[in-house]
Amino acid sequence: MSRLIKLEWLKIRLNATFWVLVGLHIGIVLLIVLSGKIFLGSLSFNGDSLKDLAGVNNIPIYQFPDIWHNITYVAGFLKFILAIYMIISITNEISYDTLRQNIMNGLSRVDFIISKLFLVFLLSLGSALFVFITGFSLGVTNTPDMVLHDVIKYSGFIPAYFLQLSAYLIFALFIGLLIKRTGLAFGLFFLYSLIIEPVVGLRIQDEVVKGFLPMKSIGNLIHMPFGKYLLREIQDYVTFREIIIVTGYLALFIWLIYLLLKKRDLR
Amino acid sequence: MNNVVTIQNLSKHYGHIRAVDNLSLEIPEKSVFGILGPNGSGKTTTLGMLLDVIIPTSGSYSWFGNQSNKENRQQIGSILETPAFYPYLSGVDNLKIIAEIKSTGYAAIDDVLRLVGLFERRHSSYRTFSLGMKQRLALASALLGDPRVMILDEPTNGLDPRGIAEMRDLIRTIASKGKTIILASHLLDEVQKVCSHFAVLNKGMLLYSGLVNDVSGDEQRIELAAGDVNQLYAMLENYPGKRKLELLENRIIITLPAETPVAHLSGYIYQHGVVPTHLVSLHRSLEKQFLDILNESK
Repeated sequence: MSRLIKLEWLKIRLNATFWVLVGLHIGIVLLIVLSGKIFLGSLSFNGDSLKDLAGVNNIPIYQFPDIWHNITYVAGFLKFILAIYMIISITNEISYDTLRQNIMNGLSRVDFIISKLFLVFLLSLGSALFVFITGFSLGVTNTPDMVLHDVIKYSGFIPAYFLQLSAYLIFALFIGLLIKRTGLAFGLFFLYSLIIEPVVGLRIQDEVVKGFLPMKSIGNLIHMPFGKYLLREIQDYVTFREIIIVTGYLALFIWLIYLLLKKRDLR
Repeated sequence: MNNVVTIQNLSKHYGHIRAVDNLSLEIPEKSVFGILGPNGSGKTTTLGMLLDVIIPTSGSYSWFGNQSNKENRQQIGSILETPAFYPYLSGVDNLKIIAEIKSTGYAAIDDVLRLVGLFERRHSSYRTFSLGMKQRLALASALLGDPRVMILDEPTNGLDPRGIAEMRDLIRTIASKGKTIILASHLLDEVQKVCSHFAVLNKGMLLYSGLVNDVSGDEQRIELAAGDVNQLYAMLENYPGKRKLELLENRIIITLPAETPVAHLSGYIYQHGVVPTHLVSLHRSLEKQFLDILNESK
């Protein structure tokens, strides 16, 4: 097992693309989170602007417990940057012929998949850790009267973010392995997640049924938190059903990846 | 002698095309085994199946007598067609990845890089390498972990004459250390110079398998020249036992039974008062044998 982690580490250690994209992910999350008040001021709900109604400066976005929900929601928007890396990682292995060479040198196909899954989980874990540290620091510096109960409340969004990111990155891995070519894989990945599924979603009236769409279900793990500052009803928890659906998709994508690679001629 | 690999009725079909058709072959240990065939004859497809990168349509193979698994492949150093490495990594870092896959330490990396003459450039990234350097890095990677078997597919492709000569020397050196080498090539000369055994494939079918030395047959050919070639030619026309006589510009090629000593021929020439300026025994080329095999199969 540790051999497969080390193998993936040797591949990314000196890969400029990897570090640039990880840096971008971290940088943009920080930028948006730290300019949160400006961002919130630009939001409006059915014509009611947050800026006019609530007085942005009084909104406790950085305070425990709200910070956990807010930061994971914002970071969730930027998971596509890591998905870009996953697609590059797998399509490069195909175009460099290194996937084939890895197998010839003594890796099994399953070993190869496991090493890429390690990359997914370590990236997700790393990102979740970064979000946790940032959120915790912001909470500590911005909460006037800290109570342990508030610090812990909503912190369950951190593992939810981890699950969300993992499922999303495995979907990216699957698309990359299916399409093989970097550019085309990007095309299909964003075409599906930004256009095809939302259009399909528009035709589905029932929110419960809609929650079974793959991208929608991954997004649903962390619902939009900001409505509550306008005293609107929001879902500030993760339901068991949502976790099961996403875990199901995660397992399904891994199985599809296995099927794709098991019978493929690597030429 | 044991076989390193036994292939039984192996086939790979792509729709109507039979890339490899019912191939059975045994490759003995410590041999330098040449797989010959024109482009598209199924050589690379066969090797790909033996290395688990191409899934056979039917049939089976067994490495070291214990089927196909990744532990077997860890003991095989292989190059298939073009070298495949991570372009953003240096030679050393690429070899570290392979050492990790083969579960061997990094200690041998410097040695194999020295052996192929890439030690000085070991920290340059792969994308800066010339084709010859890429081929040599591929050979270094195949040598890593002291494999029992090396599979080399067209190892001299794209190399300049000096690179080709160096590659041949390397293959001979490796073979002399008791390793089994499986060499696929469409260059007959290459196989004749380094191989002990060979097989001929055409259109996915095995046409012949045997020892390289066996193909010399029952004839020998001797090339001759002299100050006056025409005089020599006229004289050799009366040489007893000659099977064939050819005059090529300023050279003569005489074909004799294999058992005739060359000394008998040279003695005959001296007796008739001619001094040959050139007398070379020609090996019967594998090329001729190869073409015969291909013709017979039609």
